[in-house]
Amino acid sequence: MKIDLSQFRQTFLQESADHIASMETSLLELRSAPDDIELLNSIFRSAHSIKGGAGSFGMTNLVRFTHSLENLLDRLRSLEMQATSEVIDILLRSVDVLRGLLDADADAAMPADALELSEQIDGLMPGEPASEQAAPEEHLQELNNEPQIKHYTVEFRPHRELFESGTNPILLLRNLAALGSFTSCHLHTQELPALADLDPAQCYLSWTVELNSGCAEDEVREVFEFVEHLAEVSIHCTEEPQTIDDTLSLAVVATGQQQLAVRAADQETSADRRRQESPDDRRDPETPDRRKAAKKKSEVRGELSTIRVATDKVDRLIDLVGELVIAHVMTAHMVAEFEPGCLPRLREAVAAMERNTRELHERVMAVRMLPIGTLFQRYSRTVYDIAQSTGKKLRLETSGEDTEIDKSMLELLGDPLVHLVRNAADHGIEAPEVRQAAGKPEEGVIALKAFHRSGRIVIEISDDGAGIDTEVVRNKAIERGLIEPDSQLSDEQLRMLIFEPGFSTRDVISDLSGRGVGMDVVRRNVQQLNGSVSLVSERGQGSTVSIELPLTLAILEGLLIRVGDRTLVLPLLSVIETVPLHDEQIVRVAERGEVVVIRDEPIPLLRLSRFLGLPPEVENSDQASQEASKRRLAVIVEAGNRKVGLVVDELLGQQQVVVKSLERHLHKVDGLMGATILGDGCVAPIVDVAGIAAMNLFSLQVPPTTFPQAVSRAL
Amino acid sequence: MRKVMIVDDSVSMRQMVGYTLRQGGFEVIEAEHGADALNRLQSSNVDLIITDLNMPVMDGITLIQKVRIQPGMKSKPILMLTTEGLASKKEQGKAAGATGWIVKPFDPEKLLQTVAKVLP
Repeated sequence: MKIDLSQFRQTFLQESADHIASMETSLLELRSAPDDIELLNSIFRSAHSIKGGAGSFGMTNLVRFTHSLENLLDRLRSLEMQATSEVIDILLRSVDVLRGLLDADADAAMPADALELSEQIDGLMPGEPASEQAAPEEHLQELNNEPQIKHYTVEFRPHRELFESGTNPILLLRNLAALGSFTSCHLHTQELPALADLDPAQCYLSWTVELNSGCAEDEVREVFEFVEHLAEVSIHCTEEPQTIDDTLSLAVVATGQQQLAVRAADQETSADRRRQESPDDRRDPETPDRRKAAKKKSEVRGELSTIRVATDKVDRLIDLVGELVIAHVMTAHMVAEFEPGCLPRLREAVAAMERNTRELHERVMAVRMLPIGTLFQRYSRTVYDIAQSTGKKLRLETSGEDTEIDKSMLELLGDPLVHLVRNAADHGIEAPEVRQAAGKPEEGVIALKAFHRSGRIVIEISDDGAGIDTEVVRNKAIERGLIEPDSQLSDEQLRMLIFEPGFSTRDVISDLSGRGVGMDVVRRNVQQLNGSVSLVSERGQGSTVSIELPLTLAILEGLLIRVGDRTLVLPLLSVIETVPLHDEQIVRVAERGEVVVIRDEPIPLLRLSRFLGLPPEVENSDQASQEASKRRLAVIVEAGNRKVGLVVDELLGQQQVVVKSLERHLHKVDGLMGATILGDGCVAPIVDVAGIAAMNLFSLQVPPTTFPQAVSRAL
Repeated sequence: MRKVMIVDDSVSMRQMVGYTLRQGGFEVIEAEHGADALNRLQSSNVDLIITDLNMPVMDGITLIQKVRIQPGMKSKPILMLTTEGLASKKEQGKAAGATGWIVKPFDPEKLLQTVAKVLP
């Protein structure tokens, strides 16, 4: 039987990533409590677990590195060594190395940083022999083609307390017998006391066994491996097998030899198997087979996005499904034997189903929700690193770690948040001298908060640094051509300019006493999540960036619109306003398209009918068409960084819609973020406002054939 | 079917040992740490316990000691999961009353052989 454990690799990788994250958090806590045994124990356990599992998947580099690490941690937790800041720093760097090793190919060479750090770790422990360089090698046992049968005299004298270890001596004798054949087995009973004095929990027996076997003495001794401390075992070997003269014993020898033959055959095959496997396993690590490595990597990554769910959440789901099944059985029964009298009961059953369905819906959504704390954890390290490199005193405070957020959002938020935290630490918080001079505590505080506000999730990143100098922002914006020199902007409007693309470039940071790089990227990422960013800043007091997000990406507040005979959904969040659109308001700009001027602001118009590939609105003079054109509207939306007017025929209403992926069911369609199923069963596409604006359909010169026929048919 | 309890705080290790044992025809109960194991042992009777040593809440050595003083558990086979290089742990385990040990990383076939050594 070949038992393959590679299927558990994914679990191991995820578990190890968790261990590494928790090591990091504990290490950062350790700085203020360097002799906290609980922390040290938990860090040790994490390293130990990683090492234990890594061996199972042949990740020898990881085993080797965690081995050094484990030695060091063991000394720390036994208080033989102090967790000085130097040691903690090395351990934190080890965390990075571990991450790298976890991602690396199993057969890649040990990376240089890992080697260097591992030497450094060994160097911290004088007297410790350098860590074993190799994971335990499997010893290939050279097999004698003709096993030399030897004779063994085995004396096995257990201590009285043998049973206390759960050892069954009969099993040991059986194991011994499996190695060859007994020519005799003597049970010594002279130690047995009188029955009245006998303690059944004690072992009074001992054995002398005469054994003929082709096994080496080591193998014979190995039978008693677990009881060496609980028994006297003596093994004497003579080369000549004992001769047996009675026929019964001959039969025993025959069986014995047969067993030997079987055993030899067994070893042959397993040795064969090892030989077959070995060329791969023992390949020179410097020249790994790249193709295989690549394949392995993709297997490892597996594109398997997994989610871990608390058992009680799943239990409740199962309950609900159970209730649904019951409700269905009831309904089916009533429908099958329908008579008018059972209508009230039928209504009741349908109502119950509806309740269950709604709850099921909510709870299935909840499965995707994860606490944001897992994300917050990472940033302690970011702040720590910046404090180290800039010499600032920084502290990260987090709150609302339990706030749950959709898993896919959590993944997409990682980068924008690290950006904001880094900006706050790097540019928001002043140097200690500056802070002291301003009468502030030397230590700057960065606070990460998450909470719910009116059905949305809010994440706030604030610092008590210098705040944003709006004058610097104004000058920069003028220089960059983002605003006119004479524009009258409020401080808030000025501050929001830092989110404009083209505002922030590397050279701005140094003279901007606050945020800088890539704030436009942050805003774009958040907008992709149907969220919004805002900024509050007080000079000398600090800044707060708030990110507001919907609870989930799977449901969205939609504005239903009609274009021709089609119904579409616009994400309500991106809608700024809706204005009646009369033909005379439309200004045609040659070659460029149409604009509508609203409160002196020209806004480019985009005809959704063109996007959908519908025939252009016929400008004839019949009554119906004129009526229609009178009702026509422009929905002004914020697309990326500009306003766009979408020309629609009618507003149908506002409702929550479940977003279904088009990619999964059809293929990716530019300008659409998905589709939804409306109450009447019709499929309505959901417009990706930023995407559609980027398609440049404004010019009437562009042929309106962008909407794929397949999609058109499917919808 | 004979029942084995695997005690380990690592999910992947529990899965791997559990899978191996099921392939070997055993029924498997999992526990996350020593205290969890003791709790589960009150309601289920197992033929063998395989335990990790380093665990939160209650470590393996303490678990072995506590199992050994329970009625009917004095001679229950217990195997400990150890990693190479921690000889002192192994000694502690033996002193606490472990029947034997399995070295991590383990070879599945070898694990079943070791189990056969202590389970009739």
